Amino acid sequence: MGVLKAEPARIQDWANRSVGAYWKAYDPQLAIYAVLLAGLGLAMSYSSTVVTGVNPLDPSSNFLRGVIWTVIAVVVYIAATLFDYKWLRTFTWPIYLVNLGLLALNLVIGTGVGGAARWIAIGPLQFQFSELAKILMIVVLASYLAQRHDRLGSLRVILGACVLMVPTWVLVMLQPDLGTSLVLAGILAGMLFLSGASMKWLAILAGIVIAMIPVAWTYILRDYQKARLIGFLNPGGDPQGAGYQLLQSQIAVGSGGVFGKGLTNGTQDALAFLPVGDTDFAFARLAEELGFIGAVLVFVLFVVLIWRVLMAGYRSEDRFGTIFAAGVASMLMFQLVVNVGMVIGLLPVTGIPLPFITRGGASLISLAIGLGILQSINIRQSRAEW
Amino acid sequence: MVAPGIVDERPARERQLVRFLAFGIILIVAVLGLTARMVYLQLVNGTTYTQLATTNSTVQQAIPSTRGLIYDRNGLLLVSNQPSYTVEIRPSDLPFNQRPAVVAQLASLLNMDSADINASIDGNPGSTFDLVRIAAGVPVATANLIAEEHLDLPGVQVTVDALRHYTEGALMSQILGYTGAIDADTLKRLKSMGYLPDDLIGRAGVEEEYETQLRGSYGMETIQRDATGRQVQVLATDKQPVAGDSLTLTLDTKMQQQAQTAVDWAMRASKLKSAVLIAMNPQTGEILAMVSTPTYDDNQFANGISNAQFQVLLKNPDHPLLNHAISEQFPEGSTYKLVTGSGALADGKLTPTTLVQTKPYIQIGVDKFWDWNRRGFGRINVKTGFAHSSDTFFYQVAQMLGIKRLAYWGKQFGFGAPTGIDLPGEVAGIVPDNQWKQDVFGQPMQAGEVVQSGIGQGFDTATPLQLLNAYAALANGGTLYQPQVDRQVTAPDGSIVRPFKPIVLHKIAAPASVFTTMREAARMVVTVHHTYNLVDEPFVVAGKTGTAEFGTRDAQGRLPYHNWFVCFIPLHGDASKPDSQLAIVGFNEDANTVGNSATEMVKYFLQMHFNAKKDLRRFDLMRIGDFYGGN
Repeated sequence: MGVLKAEPARIQDWANRSVGAYWKAYDPQLAIYAVLLAGLGLAMSYSSTVVTGVNPLDPSSNFLRGVIWTVIAVVVYIAATLFDYKWLRTFTWPIYLVNLGLLALNLVIGTGVGGAARWIAIGPLQFQFSELAKILMIVVLASYLAQRHDRLGSLRVILGACVLMVPTWVLVMLQPDLGTSLVLAGILAGMLFLSGASMKWLAILAGIVIAMIPVAWTYILRDYQKARLIGFLNPGGDPQGAGYQLLQSQIAVGSGGVFGKGLTNGTQDALAFLPVGDTDFAFARLAEELGFIGAVLVFVLFVVLIWRVLMAGYRSEDRFGTIFAAGVASMLMFQLVVNVGMVIGLLPVTGIPLPFITRGGASLISLAIGLGILQSINIRQSRAEW
Repeated sequence: MVAPGIVDERPARERQLVRFLAFGIILIVAVLGLTARMVYLQLVNGTTYTQLATTNSTVQQAIPSTRGLIYDRNGLLLVSNQPSYTVEIRPSDLPFNQRPAVVAQLASLLNMDSADINASIDGNPGSTFDLVRIAAGVPVATANLIAEEHLDLPGVQVTVDALRHYTEGALMSQILGYTGAIDADTLKRLKSMGYLPDDLIGRAGVEEEYETQLRGSYGMETIQRDATGRQVQVLATDKQPVAGDSLTLTLDTKMQQQAQTAVDWAMRASKLKSAVLIAMNPQTGEILAMVSTPTYDDNQFANGISNAQFQVLLKNPDHPLLNHAISEQFPEGSTYKLVTGSGALADGKLTPTTLVQTKPYIQIGVDKFWDWNRRGFGRINVKTGFAHSSDTFFYQVAQMLGIKRLAYWGKQFGFGAPTGIDLPGEVAGIVPDNQWKQDVFGQPMQAGEVVQSGIGQGFDTATPLQLLNAYAALANGGTLYQPQVDRQVTAPDGSIVRPFKPIVLHKIAAPASVFTTMREAARMVVTVHHTYNLVDEPFVVAGKTGTAEFGTRDAQGRLPYHNWFVCFIPLHGDASKPDSQLAIVGFNEDANTVGNSATEMVKYFLQMHFNAKKDLRRFDLMRIGDFYGGN
């Protein structure tokens, strides 16, 4: 617990060295790409609300809730930008404990579909703490790895990062939330890789994880999770059961064609053939209504957004900034590939949301925090040129 | 602790740049992979998937046909269809966070327990897109209320079904049966015939036996559905439903009511566990009345019987769901002497005037086979033997016939095989012979068992319907008919699909004189005052009583017994003529009464049927007590 002992000195240290915000270094591209993606997400939410016959301005409509969450997210984003990210290292351990506390609370009082404990209702809004856990763990891991940047070739640091992840991972698995636990693993792997950890040890660890898959299959995965994984391999085998979503989402995507059917003209989701159409399968609706053009637009926006995220990290003088950006980039890329891969039948159904597009307040807030911190990194470097 | 390696020797910053670039390349490759799949789905196969998408939005659904009605022989409506409102939930349309509120509101509207509604939703075996039935038989007012509130009750639907209504309630349940939800095995079997998972099917009685005729054929329509799966419009009617045929039964409701009244009285007076009364026309095999108690009300099933109610019926040791008239078999007792006597006459072992010495008992080896009358009757002929029901007379006649011929004549009279009545669940009964005994017990019939078989004891068993049918053959001069409960099948347009036609099983291979003799003997049963309690009635009855022992002996060495009475009413009062149009069997299970309670029960029925001025019922005979004081 050497970190805790060193704390008073570090607070002093940071306070002295902290530079003021240098707004010329603010990255408008990062903000623009994020806003475009969030706009697409709201458009899909609008479409989904309209075709199910609900007035989009009805207080209980998913669209209006999406708007409220977007407004909250913008406020959070601005606050995170204004906040000096260098303080985050100081508060690493409190953040870590708050994260575990919230996840534990979620397990106790959370509700969800089919016995799962996923959400906590805050008034009319539902909040999924496992989404917040992603960004909080990126902060914790970035802080941990940055402090040990000179020892990244050692197995100890790599294992330390993994051990740090275990409690969060277990709490998320208990909900059970297979999707988020996979994203957390993806974030951990991405951050270790991008921070420059020893390839040899990473390769060995990856080998061990792959070898553990049969064990996880037998002891950790629940039957419905297995059914989804098998359903992916043979969706036609049980078209009314496990393979149903997969077949329907591929039909939705395929029927979109080049230009799509137009916003609110999707038939698959509208006719309830596509279950949870504005959640994990939102991309299917997007591809159906906006077509190949819309889908490729989403891909391009994600690629350029991740590029700006990585640039922020590359420009950061301190290791924390670099590794934090690596975490955000890993999260975005992992969720993009796994979610879209699921919707178009390349990967199994794992319940991972597509950032910005999938409806969900916590996911949006989590992204707002991450991107806000990246802007905070951008504007708080001593050499603020591009 | 820095691991050695080429990578680690380069400056950290440069190493990180390499990793960032590698990450970028992985990202680009992954996104290109996704794009390739999108090209395949949307550009290469776009047309195919568009077609798939449109077939999804229209579905074909069955249009149920109107189930056929059922009438009694006089055109009285016994079974009709009534509109019934069913409340259902499609779980996929019920948002999870609204579920508690919706369930609570439904619970208060339907006056149900929230827990039961939740259990129905969670226990739904199908997918979340399948409708789950919450309540059937909902009152119209409640159904309208729920339909009006549908905006506050997402996922909840009210549908109108046609429910069966059995106008006579429990009176006809054993014959009519009921319809119920189709089970998985039956569905698998009948799916090709258009049965649906939530279909109703005849589960007992006439409803089951005539399922095909009553059901008609379902139509088919193509409908378009909206976002919530609700039907928007009918695009096309692909096939019109054809209503089911109606049935006109052979039953006479009035006689059925009289039979029920008589049986209910016997049940009460003698504290019986179960009783049967069947009336039939011996000239045609038409069943005029058939009562089996205890029974149930088929309307319970029509309205959707609760599991608790069903368990009560299932756990009742006297099997109210079972039609004891055809689905249970009992020893015939003395009524079987018809077979022994007729067989011996036909085989020439006896003539109507042959005298046989009766005794207190006959001895076979060390065993004594007693007459019920321990003094014996002296030297008597077959009519007197039958009239007084002498056991030793028929023991000796059975010995003359031998088991092979005795069994042959049993089968000639229809015993040992189902009568083929148009009701499900009929059992065959037993006519023992050497082959049967060998198959079941591994040895031939013993001498003592043969004489017992001659008086319908030992291994012999029959259903009340079989016994009635045998005496009906006696009454009509030797023709064994297949009993029928359905008289006619009528198409919805009124044309007759199947008119009534008596079905002859076979002619019993005995000369007409044998039946004349035995009919006279049956009439003597009353005239010699053996069945003294029928002597003073204004109608002429010819019949035979039976006291059939079964089970295990009590402390005094006595066996419990069933009471039988089977008879026919000669049309003009002359039993020697084969002109009877009414034969009746009465059966009281495990009766143990002072007199023959079955005779009293049938007598009461006949008093009502013939509008007898005086009620001559003998309540004293109905008491529980030792019958062996006299028969």
